[in-house]
Amino acid sequence: MVSRIEFSVNGRKTVFSGNPLTRLIDVLREDLSLTGVKEGCGEGECGACSVIKDGRLVTSCIIPVGAVNGSEILTIEGIRDTDKGRCLVDAFAEGGAVQCGFCIPGMVMAAYALLSSNPNPSEEDIRRGISGNICRCTGYDLIVESIKLAVRKGGDLWA
Amino acid sequence: MGMTYIPSTLSEALHLRAETGARPLAGGTDMMVQSKRGIGLAPEFPYPVMIISGLEELRGITKHEDGSVEIGALASPAEIAASDIVPWHVRMAAAGMGAVALRNSATIGGNIGNASPKGDLPQPLILLDADVILVSLRGETKMKLDDFILGSKKTALKDDEIIRSVIIPPHEFTYSFYRKIGMRRANAISKLSLSAAAVVRDGEILDFRAASGASGPKVIRSYSAEAIIRGRRVEDIPEVLDGFLEAWNAAISPHAMPQYRRNTTRRMLSHFLSSIHDGAEAGIIS
Amino acid sequence: MPLTGIDDRVVRVDAAAKARGEARYVCDYTFPDMLYAYMVRSSIPRGTIDSISIPKLPDGYYFISAADIPPEGKNELWMIQKDWRCFAEGDVRYVGETIGLLVGPDRNILKYLLDHVDIKYTEGIPAVSIDDGIACKGGAIVGEDNVLCQLYVEKGKPMSEVFAEADSIYEETLETGFQEHVHLETNAAIVTEEDGKYAIYASAQCPFYIRKSVAGLLGIPQEDIIIRQTTTGGAFGGKEHFPDVLCGPLLVAEHRIHKPIKLVFDREEDMLYSVKRHPSKVTYRTALDKDGNILGIEGLVYYNCGAYLSASYVVLQRGVFHANGVYDFPNTYVKGIGIATNTFPSDAFRGFGAPQTLFAIETHLDHIARKFGFDPAEYKARYFIKQGGETITNGHIVERVMLPEMMKQVVDASGYEEKIRKYPIGSGRGIGISFYNHGGAFTGNGEQAIIKAHARLVKTGGRVRIEVGSTEMGQGFQTALRKIAAVVLGIPIEDVDYDNPDTSLVCDSGPTAASRSTMIVGKIVERCAAEMKERWAEGDFSVEKEYEHPEGHPWDQSTFRGDAYLGYGWGCAAVEVEADKLTNEIHVTGIWSSHDIGHAIDELIVHGQVNGGIAQSIGYASMEKMENRNGYFRQSSMSDYVVPTSMEFPKQEWFLVENPYEWGPFGAKGMGELVFNGADAAYIDAVERALGITVHRIPMPPEDIEEALGNGQ
Repeated sequence: MVSRIEFSVNGRKTVFSGNPLTRLIDVLREDLSLTGVKEGCGEGECGACSVIKDGRLVTSCIIPVGAVNGSEILTIEGIRDTDKGRCLVDAFAEGGAVQCGFCIPGMVMAAYALLSSNPNPSEEDIRRGISGNICRCTGYDLIVESIKLAVRKGGDLWA
Repeated sequence: MGMTYIPSTLSEALHLRAETGARPLAGGTDMMVQSKRGIGLAPEFPYPVMIISGLEELRGITKHEDGSVEIGALASPAEIAASDIVPWHVRMAAAGMGAVALRNSATIGGNIGNASPKGDLPQPLILLDADVILVSLRGETKMKLDDFILGSKKTALKDDEIIRSVIIPPHEFTYSFYRKIGMRRANAISKLSLSAAAVVRDGEILDFRAASGASGPKVIRSYSAEAIIRGRRVEDIPEVLDGFLEAWNAAISPHAMPQYRRNTTRRMLSHFLSSIHDGAEAGIIS
Repeated sequence: MPLTGIDDRVVRVDAAAKARGEARYVCDYTFPDMLYAYMVRSSIPRGTIDSISIPKLPDGYYFISAADIPPEGKNELWMIQKDWRCFAEGDVRYVGETIGLLVGPDRNILKYLLDHVDIKYTEGIPAVSIDDGIACKGGAIVGEDNVLCQLYVEKGKPMSEVFAEADSIYEETLETGFQEHVHLETNAAIVTEEDGKYAIYASAQCPFYIRKSVAGLLGIPQEDIIIRQTTTGGAFGGKEHFPDVLCGPLLVAEHRIHKPIKLVFDREEDMLYSVKRHPSKVTYRTALDKDGNILGIEGLVYYNCGAYLSASYVVLQRGVFHANGVYDFPNTYVKGIGIATNTFPSDAFRGFGAPQTLFAIETHLDHIARKFGFDPAEYKARYFIKQGGETITNGHIVERVMLPEMMKQVVDASGYEEKIRKYPIGSGRGIGISFYNHGGAFTGNGEQAIIKAHARLVKTGGRVRIEVGSTEMGQGFQTALRKIAAVVLGIPIEDVDYDNPDTSLVCDSGPTAASRSTMIVGKIVERCAAEMKERWAEGDFSVEKEYEHPEGHPWDQSTFRGDAYLGYGWGCAAVEVEADKLTNEIHVTGIWSSHDIGHAIDELIVHGQVNGGIAQSIGYASMEKMENRNGYFRQSSMSDYVVPTSMEFPKQEWFLVENPYEWGPFGAKGMGELVFNGADAAYIDAVERALGITVHRIPMPPEDIEEALGNGQ
């Protein structure tokens, strides 16, 4: 039986001993001050709270912290100063992907997960890869173009 | 509000289940949403809960010697969709669930156990006569998924049981059909879904089956309606088509949007059978 | 640092911080000793409050209600009128009306308390739809007839004469539904006290509106309240007046509690208990000669305003003023009526009343064209208004109208001519086209008479700070305005600062609404910058200027006659669809648009606005269904009220025409709302052609298409 929930966030070990049903997003935002993780819907529908759990994209608003025991969690704060993260942030800025910005950290995480598993995605792959991340501002075209830009600029980074 | 446990092994989980009645929570994609209480607040359940996402015993997708495929209760839609040993109808349903993040988090066990009429996986599984394996300290039970799901959010799961896996018997269909209609093209809950399959040899329809999702309190298969088609010759389809469609229409019981769900189901079934009649190439009817 | 040219491609100033997750939205702020607030809301659409029973509150917990408003204050929010109450008192008029706030340190305890508040009502019979409101179901909510506001405009001969001359009259009613903003950031605000003043941190479009709206609750000068806009995660009109509804109760709570208090709606609250786009019901009676030529149009426009006026009168005016679309019909009479109902008050939403009537007139003209065997595009083009043409309000179009050129761009790029031949009516494929406009800035002389915007530039060394109350909400204004200043000053854009406004530090440049910011505030900043450049050598100084109204735009606000707007943005959109014959799902296979926005300040920003506005508009016409039954919204989450995903629509092709606007900075006009105003009608036109159906309402999800197909058979 697990009594202490241990996991890592952005490479740092974290121990949680409260209610195991506490939503991962609340642990990240409120206990760890990782406010780049945004809450848009609270039910896994909008993707604003997307993080990467053991290499896979998940929505942190519907994951109980008790389910991440032993996991490695990566948030926007953990990737933004890596080569891949910088590549994506720069491409999003240059490509005009960002408007109100509330969906964007989650969108960057989705793009990161996509390119990490598929370094050379088609437009269809990109659209599918971010289809769980709702953006109300852009109509998505410039986000898609920015991800393509990240592929071009990143080159070997994604291979 | 009940206690929350995190068992490390299946055996622990079965003891917990037997002793406390704690309900399993895996991906959280249904339960965490249904019991959400807002920002900064943990969901609350009126019963004890155990988080079973760490149980290795419930993982994996394997093909048995008899050709059947066993999918562990914790298999995610992403794993199912990517597995080439899983039958086509099930892969299609898995691939069409939610979007990337949900497909990584949800589990087949949860999708079955939650028994939502809009759940995506029960529909093709029931088409394929899948069994569900239930495990408890008393041992294992196997039952047809169609019998296991009793109605909307109701299953035959006993208080000490956990869903261990799903077993899909082998099939080789000549023709297959799958459609999910969501509220939009991606990241959508099912508004209506339909699977159909047929085995045709030498002009004779040896097997024919269909399953309607989101068309009633549970997935609908009408064995009596299927029997109208089964055993017929392909050239007889026009003769029996209307009778079959009427029988199927009588079997489904859509609550909301009844006209849309009935007519669309009718059109899809008619299209599938007409394609067979018109000599479509074997494979997937789109 | 390189100098910036107005046509240079620049990187948005806010992009990197947002993408890195460093931008701070109001939900990201915390203060020492901060308390949380939850709203106690009406659970019925209409009735009297018999009793409110609050569970025993632990120490440090508060229930705030109308009783906490001090004697010198009044229980009213000042939007256009002062009819919307901060707290319901005595009766409730819609589901979700604020009754009180529960405030305290622990959200679990607050949630428990909230679940145990017991309010007893005597329920009334709610009026929910426009028809209910007209019929005064359950008795009038407002006055004797539920008419919250009304107006009419007329042009040419009396319609009775026109109808007498007509060979036929084509009459039909078109309806549009509620639309929810779904800004990704929900509504939220924090109130606190700083240096003896109240300070409110808010996700908001119009910080000065909040100050004006809430000061009367405590009977204090507006200046005693500081509004600090926090990075705002989308608004679309949903944060124009609605933040008042959060900030008012918070201010009353602060007056009693004196600690920082945070109120953040979760998505369900934001869906169920926030303002929406006005549902509409528009009836046109069009007089036609025997060849199908339009002799005149009579329109009756109803908007469902909900229980309070909020901005509805102005929304309705804009609806009426756009009810003739982009056309110059010889005779028109259009009456608009805002109806009170027991639904959540309807309020601003991108387009501000124009999209409803534009959808109606475009679809109406499609139907007439088809009846007489004309191609809708060709038919509509006959009536395009031209420079000097008389508007529906007896004003004149001052600028050159480039609709023919825009239509040609869209027709050529989309292959419209070929496709209308290739896709016969009912073939399952179709292409549709629409034309639309949007009057820039406030109606008539509102900019001069009501707003009187100010802007200020402050020079410190080589840096220049812009001090205006206009806000960035995603539309790119912080970048656009810096670019305007930098280009005029001849300095790099990096040397211009423009922070989220703080009402104690900046000028009131008017609300960030009505597509007025670039056109109006941008122009004032351009003028400030021009003076600053001339005086650059003077050292550190500031330049502040007031709005100057262009000559030659007569307007009478009492009769609604004259130039309703200073200038218009113009648009043309084509949408191509393929219908799934098994499921009636509609797949959009192409989107083309052309817009006249004068001159683009930043093409990349404009590109994003065009894409996003069009996606939102097609969502409005297709999938965004918000139903209200018996006073209760039925869609409460992002899974049952769906907005477009990245998979919905193909990549858009878009064009701009160059048509510099004399009174805008660098020739720019407003554009944020324009791009929402027409793709819905093009989509419906395409669907009608693909399936051979006639549509009279939006949205049209597949189940409603099924019904239309059934009716047609």
